[in-house]
Amino acid sequence: MTAEQLILRMMKNAGVPWQSQRADGFDDGIHMGDNDTVVSGIVTTFIPTLDVLRRAVASGKNTIICRETPFYSRGERAPLFWRNGSPPPPELMDKDATVKAKREFIAANKLVIVKLFDNWDARKTDGQLRALAMALGWDKYHLARKGGKDVYRPGNEYFSLPKMSLGQLAKDLQGKLKTRGIRVIGDPQSQVSKAALTHGFLLVADVQRVMKEPGVDLFAGGEPVEWEASEYLEDLVAAKMIKGAILLGNQASEEPGSREVAAWLKTFVTEVPVEWIPAGEPFWTVS
Amino acid sequence: MNSHNWTRRDFGRLAALGLAAARTAQPQAAPITARQVVERIKKNIGVPWRNHTCDTFKWGDPDAPITGITCTFMSTLSLLQRSAAAGNSFIISHEPTFWSADDVASDLRDDPLFEHKMDFIDKNRLVVFRFHDHWHARRPDGIATGWNRRMGWDQYQSKEQRGVYVIPETTLGALAKEMQAKLNVRSARMVGDPGLKVTRVASGGHYIAQCMAAAQNADVVLAGESREWETAEYIRDAVASGQKKGLLLLPHEGGEEAGMEECAQWLRPFVPEVPIKFIESGDPFWIPA
Repeated sequence: MTAEQLILRMMKNAGVPWQSQRADGFDDGIHMGDNDTVVSGIVTTFIPTLDVLRRAVASGKNTIICRETPFYSRGERAPLFWRNGSPPPPELMDKDATVKAKREFIAANKLVIVKLFDNWDARKTDGQLRALAMALGWDKYHLARKGGKDVYRPGNEYFSLPKMSLGQLAKDLQGKLKTRGIRVIGDPQSQVSKAALTHGFLLVADVQRVMKEPGVDLFAGGEPVEWEASEYLEDLVAAKMIKGAILLGNQASEEPGSREVAAWLKTFVTEVPVEWIPAGEPFWTVS
Repeated sequence: MNSHNWTRRDFGRLAALGLAAARTAQPQAAPITARQVVERIKKNIGVPWRNHTCDTFKWGDPDAPITGITCTFMSTLSLLQRSAAAGNSFIISHEPTFWSADDVASDLRDDPLFEHKMDFIDKNRLVVFRFHDHWHARRPDGIATGWNRRMGWDQYQSKEQRGVYVIPETTLGALAKEMQAKLNVRSARMVGDPGLKVTRVASGGHYIAQCMAAAQNADVVLAGESREWETAEYIRDAVASGQKKGLLLLPHEGGEEAGMEECAQWLRPFVPEVPIKFIESGDPFWIPA
């Protein structure tokens, strides 16, 4: 199976019409490497860090399927506007030692880097949310559990948790996701029980959407813009409309989904091994 | 939505745009209005006032007499509550009030939080002005001046490169602790070896292009909020490729709040009529130990 054949198989199994190279920035597909490269094994991960690439090569796998890009930019994706930056200019990229080392490693090992983000998210089941809920141990608390067949249809994002303090819960999630940099808004002593859960980059519109559900007292999500969704969450707490917010971090909230991608690939790729290699959290903190 | 709210809301918007009818002067009123303060800011800022700018009134009546001024990083609801309690009706905020760079209130018609925040401002007769573009445009940048003063880093600024500091040798771990204490923040996040020896720190701004440029000639890149798939991942790879680099990622607030303390000091000589106080909106986050 070549890299191109792998992409064709992914397109066929996506379950939704595959979209690429759209004006608003959809750019799923091969980002680096040759279409004709024979796939020796597949690694799924949140972001193809140099460390993940080394581990892939060490385990004999040459194809990496990831959510974020290898070179630190989502480019000019329309929904981001000024919330992220333009990619560094080519002159800067070409002389940068880190970029050079990574490009050389990718070329020397003939790696293929495939981005899978928008088409995965366009599927009828939110694989990122399901995987995150499983990782948090929240699956059994999903509010749609009693009624529907597919509880992780987009929009089903509410959980009825056993009552506990915001501080206890944050600590618990820190342990479950093995991530230090969880950031919390609200009084650690306040009791929370009904949670809304989202993943990844977080906009005000996402918070507004989940707040339409009555009784939500805890918001949990990935990475907010600090002059937008983060301020909105802070204000919700100050207005006593919710008790608290837990920001898990983009990587921590999305990484379990990469495991789900591996499970999905295994249903139609049988000739080569498929392995989830979590990139892990980049940060450490001081108290 | 009742019609009373709409009337009040429309008035608030008109007032913010400066289109409300001028009020008749009341003889017993306090001697200065928010609009008059802003006129003095424009006169003293030292750079031409821009036509397209987010530095505008966001809510409240700019022509009402004010009781005092609060300078802050961000006009969060909690900050507005604390400003009202301190008796200051005019809030000068570096960052938005209504959760977007342009404070677009038209998108927020049915938003209960918008209603709540607006009501709080109205009931307490507050007026909010954003002071971002011009405070940054001032030379030297008002935010950087305040931050340098708070850190005691004015003396360490490189003469050759703007935004670069050459500090007495320390480690990334020690620097992170020192910075958290001086800036009164709790949620700094670091990438790299805590034992990394640091003398050159380069301020990178929010975005990868600037942070990558800053990293070329520095031990540590300093950023006040940067998208997590950008600079953090870049520095992680730099470290993995064997380079001695680190990232000190402050909350956005930690990079700019001290600059609004500077703003309060700057205002006092030319706005002597009312008390002026710096009130921290504060680090929104805490991290479980």
